Amino acid sequence: MINPIDTILSLALLSILFSFGSSRLPSLIKVLAFQGIVVCIVPLFIGHAMSGGNLAFVIATLTIRGIVIPGCIYLAIKKVAIAREVEPIVGYHASIFCGLLLIVGATMASRHFDIAYSSLSDLLLPTAIALLGAGMFLLMARRNAIAMVLGYMMMENGIYLVGTTFSIRARHIVEFGILLDILAGVMIMAVILQNMKQTFDDVDTARLRTLKE
Amino acid sequence: MLEIIFLIPFVTGAAAFFLPRAIGRTLLVLTGAIHLLFSLFVWVSQPAARFPEYFAIAPEGLLSLLVISLLFFLISIYTIGYLKASAVQRENIFTGSMLLFLSTMTMVTLSDHIMVMWIAIEATTLASAPLIYTHRSASALEATWKYVLICSVGIAMALLGSVLVTVAMDVGHVEAQVSFTALTGIAGQLDPGWLKAGFVFILVGYGTKMGLAPMHTWLPDAHSEAPSPASALLSGVLLNCAYLGIFKTNAIMHAAGLDGFSGPILIIFGLLSIMAAATFILKQTEYKRMLAYSSIENMGIIAFGTGIGGTAAYGAMICLIHHSLIKSSLFLTSGNILLGFGSRLIEKTGSLATRMPKTFVAFFGGFAAISGFPPFGLFIGEVLIIIAAFRSGNVVVTAVFILSLCVIFAGLANNVMRISFSPADSNTPIKDQTSLVWPQYALLLTSVALCFWMPETLQQTIVHAVKAIGGGF
Repeated sequence: MINPIDTILSLALLSILFSFGSSRLPSLIKVLAFQGIVVCIVPLFIGHAMSGGNLAFVIATLTIRGIVIPGCIYLAIKKVAIAREVEPIVGYHASIFCGLLLIVGATMASRHFDIAYSSLSDLLLPTAIALLGAGMFLLMARRNAIAMVLGYMMMENGIYLVGTTFSIRARHIVEFGILLDILAGVMIMAVILQNMKQTFDDVDTARLRTLKE
Repeated sequence: MLEIIFLIPFVTGAAAFFLPRAIGRTLLVLTGAIHLLFSLFVWVSQPAARFPEYFAIAPEGLLSLLVISLLFFLISIYTIGYLKASAVQRENIFTGSMLLFLSTMTMVTLSDHIMVMWIAIEATTLASAPLIYTHRSASALEATWKYVLICSVGIAMALLGSVLVTVAMDVGHVEAQVSFTALTGIAGQLDPGWLKAGFVFILVGYGTKMGLAPMHTWLPDAHSEAPSPASALLSGVLLNCAYLGIFKTNAIMHAAGLDGFSGPILIIFGLLSIMAAATFILKQTEYKRMLAYSSIENMGIIAFGTGIGGTAAYGAMICLIHHSLIKSSLFLTSGNILLGFGSRLIEKTGSLATRMPKTFVAFFGGFAAISGFPPFGLFIGEVLIIIAAFRSGNVVVTAVFILSLCVIFAGLANNVMRISFSPADSNTPIKDQTSLVWPQYALLLTSVALCFWMPETLQQTIVHAVKAIGGGF
């Protein structure tokens, strides 16, 4: 029988490929929202003793990661009429190919590590590594500022997966830390984007290239 | 109640957002003074923390705390004059963020828990971002965007590193608090593989914030776009705070007997930073960017010294303290030059020696100090590092280190001479306010004084701090 965790994680892996292939911001945001939900429900299946507090935390993170933040960004791009193109530096087909390579590489790399929960799921560590790498890739290969923020969020999803599943201790603190991080980071970025929109009339970061060495 | 020391600026900072500008300015200096008194009190009586799990007094934290407090007090006095002389929109945001920034940095110095440390360093990014955006120009916006994005990614790496350290505890089947003190105590039982991975991620993460090459790209922009008092804080104390995270993790590595792994990595990053600074400083056209690159250089020197260990670790600690004093003085002086000449470009300045004599003395003194001339403290620190590096047998590495220092000195000297003595468009003296130079004199004099007379407690605290990473004589 297929392990439910593996099924969920394969969805997360697929979402990486979808995100690499999406050319418009709204679809990228939807993929990220889906990914946020998927990643958040993984701890429910991992077999830690689920107390009421833990459950509440999972629900809270799920709401914020899967609904509130993507919703806010979606409303923001609608309201200020930000460019919908993700403006790739690396093309979509090449990106998807890179994504496949990344997943294969992550799977190979994960064999070198020995973790407490590797018996639970074969996909846990590869997915976490792939999410981290994919987030970095989106940060570097997309010029649109919102797409970069979404790439950053994907990276955080990977870290969340590592933090909540690998280590029994400090789970809550990890969760709290990431929540603070995402909330504050996105809020500040939103403010900046708002101003960037007013200053440059656009959020193409290619215009932000005057200060370079 | 140790926690009061960062709660005070937090409360006043939050209040300053809603208060009129005159009260905000008073609040800034007042909080600086209270903070300084309180940190002296912490030095003398070492009060216990209300939450000992999360906060504790460590020697390296005490050193940074005193430096932060002294710097903030002097910078806040300077800020009043600076704010009067320059037009800053929404001044309450500026003063409020300054105070919140002080609060978060104080929290970094006192945090003992690995996650609290992380949260505090993350909070410094958030509190300082509005400071960089103060002037609201397109380039300020770009610098802020770069700062927030690059530092967030870096801090995410550090979070991953912190999580990996807890994984090292799980794999090693250790039962302990997730605090630096506890971890250093039981370091030998941690799983070395995961600990190494954790260290690398923490070094990359906090190294981004500290300005180590190649993750330094945000630093020149942020430091040159921020108003001078904010640049002085960013360069003088924020970089130290990020270093504290690396220092404490390095102490765990040392206790686990893994300095053979962490040392070379620190040396490589340090050397890379110094070399990057040397390359970029030569062709700088803006004096604030030039100072920013000099900060990258000094952070490289500190990382290098920490990596070599032994006497060099002691030298690195000396460099850390004196760099803060000198660099913040230089950034404040650059604020005067900016107010006087109205441009950040070196070519738009000139004849500083005759046009703004008081500022010139502070500027030239700062230049001599940052280049490592005696009697300033960086001289002692750098000499100790070089001697220890030669003794450890890394001859090639040390040669590159010294060569890069020479190149940086040449680049700095070239620009400083130009600003100070080359003929300018006009030779009318520029108004040179005394209130805008004596904080710099005070900082430089503190640096000189510390070379001739180091209080016994300070000396002992430094020795005690570097002992944790295998430093000392």
